[in-house]
Amino acid sequence: MDRQARRVTWVWLGLVALTLGSAWLGEGLASTGVTAGLVALIVAVKGQLVIRHYMGLTGSGSRLRRLMCLYFVVVPLLIVLVGGAAAALS
Amino acid sequence: MQLAMTAPPGDPVVEGRVPGNRGIWVGILCELTEFALMFLAYAWFKWVHPEDFHRGPGMLNTASGVWNTVVMLTSGYFAVRALLAIRRNDSVAARNWLIGTLLGGIGFLAIKAYEFSWNVDHGVLGTGNSFVAIYYYLTFNHLVHVVWGCLGLIWAILRTGFGAYSPEDHEGLEAATLYWHATDLAWIVIFPLLYVVR
Repeated sequence: MDRQARRVTWVWLGLVALTLGSAWLGEGLASTGVTAGLVALIVAVKGQLVIRHYMGLTGSGSRLRRLMCLYFVVVPLLIVLVGGAAAALS
Repeated sequence: MQLAMTAPPGDPVVEGRVPGNRGIWVGILCELTEFALMFLAYAWFKWVHPEDFHRGPGMLNTASGVWNTVVMLTSGYFAVRALLAIRRNDSVAARNWLIGTLLGGIGFLAIKAYEFSWNVDHGVLGTGNSFVAIYYYLTFNHLVHVVWGCLGLIWAILRTGFGAYSPEDHEGLEAATLYWHATDLAWIVIFPLLYVVR
């Protein structure tokens, strides 16, 4: 296995581990607000990993890469906002 | 929008090269915009019906959601390996990795079919409440994109089998895998929204 294949294998294992971490959070061990915050962080990290290592968008100057990365900043923020609101209402 | 190719197609090592082609990126951005609107709808309904969304994840088969996510991520991994294989001119390995990717997609659809059947048996129906309505709205839409992705993968498998791709020119294969990863990206958001966050 060459260097690129080894790197993407580690990324895949990391993504699976983060997924299992998310599922564990779903067991309701933390409060709604904390869960939403952690889930948002996990979504952001997973999104950035897929954009960079799976899709191959590596150029820091690329507008397309910035746009894709921005998506995985805005959507996690939405999760935090909605989760925070739900925690405040409960 | 900087979508122009900045290096010869297929060059795997050029930092900053935009992978694939313009057409597939238009499709990907449309897909992600469509899902962004659905996420806004999710947020709105959660704001209006917080009790439905608090109880919602507990109504679903969480194991199916976790397996769907793992299968989707693994399938995406196989797609990257297919791209790496064609770049070292190993079209047989590339085809085999693509077949693995497609099997992942079929596995995703099979798990979804099982989950929908489980839902019916457990009374999780579209007419239930606002959470369940959004659940079906999001998952059915995503499922349609998985089917499109599978069709693209079948096309890439056939083309790879006929020797249409080379290390210098494999834009079509790369475009099919990019669409697959975009579908993966949408699921990365859908999974926690429906199965985890209360």
